Amino acid sequence: MTESRTPLRILAPESAVPRIAAELSRRRFLSLAALAGGTALLAACAPGGSTTSPSSQASGGALEDALSVYTWGDYDSPDVVSAFTADLGPKVTLDSYSSNEELIAKLIAAKGTSGFDIVVPTGVFIPQMIENGLLTKFNKDLLPNLSNMDPTALGRAWDPENEYSVCKAWGTTGFVYDKTIITRELSTWADFFDAAQNEASGKTSMSDDPAGIIGAYFWANDLDWNTQDADQLEACRKFLVEEIAPHIAAFDSYPGTNAIPQGTQVLMQAWNGDARLGLLESSDPDRWQWVLPGPVTELWMDNWAIAAGAPHPEAAHAFINFSMTPENLMLNLDYIGYNVGGKDMQTGATDAGMELTDLIFFSDAQLAAMKEQELNDSQTVRVEIWNEMKAAAGA
Amino acid sequence: MRRRSLGGLLAVPAWVWLAVFFVAPVGMVIWFSFGYKPGIFGTHANDVLSFDRYLEALSPTFFATFANTLWVGLLGTALCFLIGAPVAYWMAFKVRPERRGILIALVLIPFWTNFLIRTIGWQVILAPEGWMSQALQSLGLLDGPLDLLYTRTAVLIGVVYNYLPLMILPLFVAFDRVGPAVREASKDLGAGKVSTFFRVTLPLSRPGVVAGVLLVFIPLMGDYITATVLGGAKGNMVGQLVASQFQTAQNWALGSAMAVVLMLVIALTIAAAAAVLWLVALPFRSRNRLVLGAAPGPASAPASAHASQETQVTP
Amino acid sequence: MSATKTETILRQRDGSMLGSGRRTHRSWTDVALNVWGVLVLLFLFAPIIVIVIYSFNTGRLLVSFDGFGLDAFRTILEKPAVQNAVRVSLITALISAIIATTLGTLAGIAMARHPGRWVWWFLGLLLLVSVTPEIVDAVALLPWFVTLGQDWGMAIFDDGIVRLSIGSSLFATAVVSYLVRARLIGQEANLEEASSDLYALPFTTFRRVTLALAMPAVLAGFLLAFTLSLDNTIVAAFVQVSGTTPWPVYVLSAVRSGLRPEVAAVSTIMLILTLIALAVVAVVLRRAGDSATDIARTMGGG
Repeated sequence: MTESRTPLRILAPESAVPRIAAELSRRRFLSLAALAGGTALLAACAPGGSTTSPSSQASGGALEDALSVYTWGDYDSPDVVSAFTADLGPKVTLDSYSSNEELIAKLIAAKGTSGFDIVVPTGVFIPQMIENGLLTKFNKDLLPNLSNMDPTALGRAWDPENEYSVCKAWGTTGFVYDKTIITRELSTWADFFDAAQNEASGKTSMSDDPAGIIGAYFWANDLDWNTQDADQLEACRKFLVEEIAPHIAAFDSYPGTNAIPQGTQVLMQAWNGDARLGLLESSDPDRWQWVLPGPVTELWMDNWAIAAGAPHPEAAHAFINFSMTPENLMLNLDYIGYNVGGKDMQTGATDAGMELTDLIFFSDAQLAAMKEQELNDSQTVRVEIWNEMKAAAGA
Repeated sequence: MRRRSLGGLLAVPAWVWLAVFFVAPVGMVIWFSFGYKPGIFGTHANDVLSFDRYLEALSPTFFATFANTLWVGLLGTALCFLIGAPVAYWMAFKVRPERRGILIALVLIPFWTNFLIRTIGWQVILAPEGWMSQALQSLGLLDGPLDLLYTRTAVLIGVVYNYLPLMILPLFVAFDRVGPAVREASKDLGAGKVSTFFRVTLPLSRPGVVAGVLLVFIPLMGDYITATVLGGAKGNMVGQLVASQFQTAQNWALGSAMAVVLMLVIALTIAAAAAVLWLVALPFRSRNRLVLGAAPGPASAPASAHASQETQVTP
Repeated sequence: MSATKTETILRQRDGSMLGSGRRTHRSWTDVALNVWGVLVLLFLFAPIIVIVIYSFNTGRLLVSFDGFGLDAFRTILEKPAVQNAVRVSLITALISAIIATTLGTLAGIAMARHPGRWVWWFLGLLLLVSVTPEIVDAVALLPWFVTLGQDWGMAIFDDGIVRLSIGSSLFATAVVSYLVRARLIGQEANLEEASSDLYALPFTTFRRVTLALAMPAVLAGFLLAFTLSLDNTIVAAFVQVSGTTPWPVYVLSAVRSGLRPEVAAVSTIMLILTLIALAVVAVVLRRAGDSATDIARTMGGG
C-alpha cells in the first residue's frame, strides 16, 4: 500500500514546537488507535467459529474490488478471468495448490484467515470440509445461472442440495493402450489387468493415487469400491501387490501429458481429459485407443466452493455465477478439456471444432456406470496397500 | 579466553533463527508423532500419547523402501563425487582465477530453472522415440529404442544431475583453500601428480569433501520427486512414504513418526559410514604419521620422506 | 592466491617447468581435466537447451513439439498468475539468500575460528535441519506461522514474502555454514593474528582479513542459497498466502492440467536475463581495470 504524503509545514515559534509535535503525534496515535479498535470490533463481529458452518454472508450488495481464487494450476480460462474483471470490476488473484489435502491442511491451520475466497475442492473431500467448518453456504439468489447446469452434474452425493458447492468440472477414469502392441480389443478393467500381466508387462502405468489403483480392482470385480470390508481389502492387497505390482513401470497420474506423446508406455490408466490431451498431441494418434472400461468406473468432480471467512463474498458469488453463463462454460470447456457440467454442450462443442468429444461427453448409460468415491475409515488401509504396491514395484 | 567466548557469539543470530523457525516447529512434529489420527476427518490428536505410531512406521514396506532409498543415496552420492570432484579440481587449479567466478555461476545457472522443468527436459532427451534415441540408433550405437526411462539408471541420472552443484561447490571451495603452494612443494620434493592429490590435496580439503558428501547424501535420502519423474516405480523412496501419510492419508501422527524414524536412520547411516571410513583410514593414518621430536635413529617411528603432515581435522 | 615466488623466479629463469607452461607444455591430465569440465558443463546444460528449444513450441503441451513460434512468450503477457509467481519466487529467493548468507557466514566463521563445545551442538542442529524431510518442515511451519501471526499478533508473519523467505532460508543457512566452515577450518589463523599484531581492531580484522579469506565460500554460498530457494516447493506450498504463489508451486500445480509451453518460455526468459546479468558483471569488472580483476580473483578464489 503506497501512501502519498505531502509534508505539512508549520511555521511556529521555537517554544511551541514540542507541544505541536506532541499534539500531532498524539492525534495520529489516537486515530490509529481508533482505526485499530474499529477493525477489532468488526473482526469480533464477523462470523467466525470453526464448529458450525457459517451461513452465507453475501447479500447481493456491491461487489468488492478484489477476489482471491485458490485453485488448481492453469485450471481457468484466462479469457473468462479477464472478462470478469472487465465486465464486473473485481481484480482476480489466482493462487495454486496441487492436492486437496494440502488445501484442507492450509484452511484448517489458517482458521478462517487464509484470505482465500473461492476454493476448488474435489467432491469427495467436501463432507470433510463441511464438518470442519471450512466452507460457507451459498446464497443461491446470487447464483441464478445454476439453471444453465446439467441436472446430472448437480445434486451429487457429497452435497445433495448444492448448498456449499457446484460443479466446476467432472471426469472419469479409464485407460489408453497402444494398438500396435496390444492387438486384441480391451474393454473392461479385467482386460486391463490381464494385459498388464502379459503384453504390457513392464510398460504399464497406473495412477499415483490409491483411489484409482484400488478402485480399478473393485471395478474389475464389479464390487462397491468404497467398501470397508476387511476381507475384500485383503484380497485386493494380495492381488495388487503380488500379481500386478511387478509389472508396473510407473505410477503416473498424468500420462497424457508425457507418456502418450513420448510413447514411453504401452498401457496407461488415465483420466479422460488427460487421455484426450495426449491423443490430440500425439504425433501418431491412431496408435492409441482410449477405453471407458466396464463394468463400472469412477466419477470425480471438482467444485466451486466459498471458503469460510472469505473476505470478498459478493465478488465470489459473482465470479461463480459468471462462470456458469453458456459462453463462459464453453470457454472453460475448451481450455481445460473436461466436461464443465453445462446443459446441452455437446453439439455446441462439436460445432466449435473440438475434437474427440466422446472423451468428454458420455451417454446416460455410461454415466450410470460411474460411481463416486466416498472417504471413509478404510482410507488408512488403502494408503497402506498403495505404499506396499509401490515398494513391490520398485524392488 | 574472553576472545574465544566473544567469537562464539557470532553464531548466535544463526542459533536464534534456527531455534525459532526450525526447532520449535519440528518439536511440534515430534510431539505429533506420539498422538494418533482421530477418525477419518481429523489429521492429528494428542490426548492419548503412545509409541504405537512408531511400531506402525517400522513396517516391512518401510524397510523395503528404505533399502531402495539407501541404494540410490549411496550410489548417487558416490557418482556425484566421482563426477564432481574432477570438475571442482579443474575449477580450483586449472582455470584462470578471473574465470572462476563465472564458472561457479555457470555451474549453478541450470539450477535456476525449476527442477520439474529440467527433469522434463531429461524426459524429452531420454524419450525412446526422441531425437537422441534416433540419433544413437542411426549411428549404430543402439540396437533398439533408448530404454533408459523408468529404470534404475534413469533414477541415478536424475538424482546425480540435481545434486551435482551441491557437491561441486563445497569441493571447489575446499580445493581452492589448499592453494598451489603446498602442492608445488610436494612436487618439488618428488611426488607425482597422483601422489600429490591423494596425500596432500585431498586430506587438506577433507572438510570440503565431507561437506559435499553430506550436503548431497542427506537431502537425497529425503527426496522423492526427482527419483520418480525419471525412474517411475524404480524410484520409490522413503520420503514418499512420509509425504503420503501427511497428504493422502491425512495421518499426521503416523507421518511424524515415520519422519522421525527416517531422520534417525539417516543419522545412523552417517555415523556408520564415518566409523567405517575412520577404520579404513587407520592404516594410512599410522603410516603417514610424522613424529616430531623423537630420538634420531633408524629404528624410530616411520617418518616418510614426503612432507605431508597429517591434519587432525575432524569433520 | 596468485603465482608463488618460486614459480615467478623459475619462470624468469627457465620459462617452462612446474605448471606455469600454459603455452608450451600441457600435460595430458590438464587436457583431460579441461575436456571433463566442459563435458560436465554440457551435461548440466543439456536439459536446459532442450527447454529453451521447446519454449518455441506452438503446441498445447510442453513435451509435444508442434511447430516453431513465439506464441508461448505472448501468452505469458496474458497470464498475470505466471508473472506474479516468477516475481514472488525471485524476490523471496533474493531475501532468503541474503538472510542465509549473513547468518551462515557468521556461524561458519564462529565454528572455524572460535570453536568450543558449543560447536558440536550447533553442528548437530545443522545436521538436524538437513536431515528433516521437507514435508515435515512444511507441516510444522504452517501452524507455527499462524500462531505467530494470528494468535500472538505479530502481523509480519502473515505476509507471504516473509513466510516464504523464512521457509527457504533454513536449509540454506545450514549449507552456507558448512561451506564457510570448510573454507576456513584448519587454515591457521596466522593472517588474523598478524593483523591484530599490526594494531587492527577486532572488527577490522574480521572485515578485512577473515571475511576476505572466506569470500569464495561466501559467494558460493550466496549463489547456492539463491538456487536452493528458487526451487523450494513443498514448504513454499504450505506456507504461502493469497497472492504469493511462488513459481515452483505454480508449476507443480499446473502438471495436473498438462504443462503448456509458457512454462518453458518463462524458464528461457529467466535464463537469458541471468546470462545478461553475468555478461554485464564480467564487462564491468574488466572495464574497471586491475583492481577489479583482483576483486574477481579474490571472490573466485584466486
